[in-house]
Amino acid sequence: MLTWLTHSVNGLAYGSLLFLVASGLTITFGLMRTVNLAHGAFYLLGGYLAYDLTTNGTDYWLALLAGVLAAATGGMVVERAFLHRLAGSELPQIVLTLGVAYIIGDQILANYGGDPVAPPTPPGLEGPVTIGDWVFPKFRLVMIGVAIALAAVVGALLKYTPTGAKVRAAVDDEEIARAVGIRVPLVFLLVFGCGTGLAAFAGVWGGAFTSLAPDSGFEVLLLALIVVVVGGLGSIGGALLAAFLVGLVDQYGKVWFPEWALFTLYASVAALLAVRPRGLFGKAVFR
Amino acid sequence: MSVAEKKPAGAAKDRVLSRRGITVTGGFAVAAVLLVLVPSFTDSFYTFVATRMLLLGLFATAYNTVFGFGGMSSLGHAAFFGIGGYTVGIAVTRWDWPPLVVLAAAVVLGAAVAAVFGVMCLRVRGIYLLLLTLALAQAIAGLAFYQTEWTGGDNGIPNIPRDGLPSSVREGDGYYMLTLVVVAVCVALLWMYQRSPLGMSVVGVRESEARMSATGYRTGRLRVVAFTVSGAFSAVAGVLEVYLQGSVSTANMSWLISADVLVFAILGGARHFLGPFLGAVLVTGLEVWVSTYTDRWTTVLGIVYIATALFLADGVLGRAGWAVRTTKSWWEKKSSPGGAAPPGAAADPAGVPAEVRA
Repeated sequence: MLTWLTHSVNGLAYGSLLFLVASGLTITFGLMRTVNLAHGAFYLLGGYLAYDLTTNGTDYWLALLAGVLAAATGGMVVERAFLHRLAGSELPQIVLTLGVAYIIGDQILANYGGDPVAPPTPPGLEGPVTIGDWVFPKFRLVMIGVAIALAAVVGALLKYTPTGAKVRAAVDDEEIARAVGIRVPLVFLLVFGCGTGLAAFAGVWGGAFTSLAPDSGFEVLLLALIVVVVGGLGSIGGALLAAFLVGLVDQYGKVWFPEWALFTLYASVAALLAVRPRGLFGKAVFR
Repeated sequence: MSVAEKKPAGAAKDRVLSRRGITVTGGFAVAAVLLVLVPSFTDSFYTFVATRMLLLGLFATAYNTVFGFGGMSSLGHAAFFGIGGYTVGIAVTRWDWPPLVVLAAAVVLGAAVAAVFGVMCLRVRGIYLLLLTLALAQAIAGLAFYQTEWTGGDNGIPNIPRDGLPSSVREGDGYYMLTLVVVAVCVALLWMYQRSPLGMSVVGVRESEARMSATGYRTGRLRVVAFTVSGAFSAVAGVLEVYLQGSVSTANMSWLISADVLVFAILGGARHFLGPFLGAVLVTGLEVWVSTYTDRWTTVLGIVYIATALFLADGVLGRAGWAVRTTKSWWEKKSSPGGAAPPGAAADPAGVPAEVRA
């Protein structure tokens, strides 16, 4: 009984990690409709930077902030220099961001080598929690809470603040948004920076959870992409639900039929997309 | 050429066509001779590279029947390539099948799985098609990764013997020749398919699915056909790759291979039949060349990707065609008796002659 509880909570915790990664993607991909395959690379960038700084004695939260800011800046540079030229055409976006991901991943490999590293667990969250007979790592439990809180905050920001309204307006109808005085390029730039910053945050936290390696960025990226699409492009709640589902399917797949682990996950996602391309909570299919 | 000049073209048509025919045939003959002579110029390493260029070129050409000519951007072709590879690995190490049977099995398997891909992708377009093919390919790659009893899991299947091949084509130059023949036959078959009514109607679906379906074509079926053909020939490329490398692993199924072949197609020119082949040759050649100077090939590849996305939307061949047209119109304008072109004509890439404007 307790084993099943552990498996379930483990699945939810992994799902939360996926949501942390996917939250940035829901904004840049789901909302802005910009495909960013370098998202996983920014995840790595944040994680490795925080790892580097903390091993050199920097305060944890400062290192986290540095990682997030670096990735946000990097993301904004990529958006301003390249991506905004390719608005609306996914294929070049995919090729370009994959190129960026290759460069970042290769430079990380050159500087830190191929061995996995792990940024430290946030201070105060080390060790287990004990509830009755049930023992579970505190960090993972907190992660679930953080994912839910993040979903609520991002959703509320988009829905209830003037900034959020501007973002939605810029996405829905760029021309009219410009006509009423919204600085659309600036909005997109900042939104993209937020997206990659969130990726870096996920990298620092997720790195402590699963550890980082130069090629783990793509692994996480694919799962996060799936979460975003299954949840429905642009739907934050959908992404959270999808993240939990994917986490649970992944965990139980590994427990019940390890030989079919990845297959069950991707095949069920493919089946869902084949019959319902817009995902669980997506609006009607664009294009 | 003015409108008046075009009229009597009927009489001269045969002659013009045959001249073009001579050029094309001559070009192919020269290319064939050069390709056959490659091993005598190169050492074993460069023969290996040339073999790889050929089979990746076939892969890219096969991919383009879905991508460039079918108008469906797939990000799942690594699955077919890998299926071809694993067919070799499993059938040869377990049952010692002869190469021709392996090839046939790989073609059937590749086509069957591709047909499933095609059917599942009937309802999706654009970015959803990319993601759905990606998910399907990842599902297959998941099988390769976790069905360790069959596939060797992460380690793959090493030391696949080439004993089944006739000894004259087993190694080095001989294997290059074998690859050359197989690739030439496959590319010719793909060309025939593309020029056939079937292939043409797939292009029609790309241009306007609504019109094709209104004219009575079963567009869904055509999309599945495109996938099936593409999957079969991609599997052949995968077979050649594994016979060349002597091993197969999950790297043969990595989704980055799907991305690679997508970039081959875009870089070379997806609207041209041989564009993707050229793209594969260029990128593979660049890899070898850059690797002699630096270990950071992946970074250079990233730069190539970025440059492709920004500057080569219609590929090297598309750019070259544009350059030729521009030069021609500039030359015509310069040598035309009137001399002075109307303002703005220089900016016209289509190169409309001055007489037609006036």
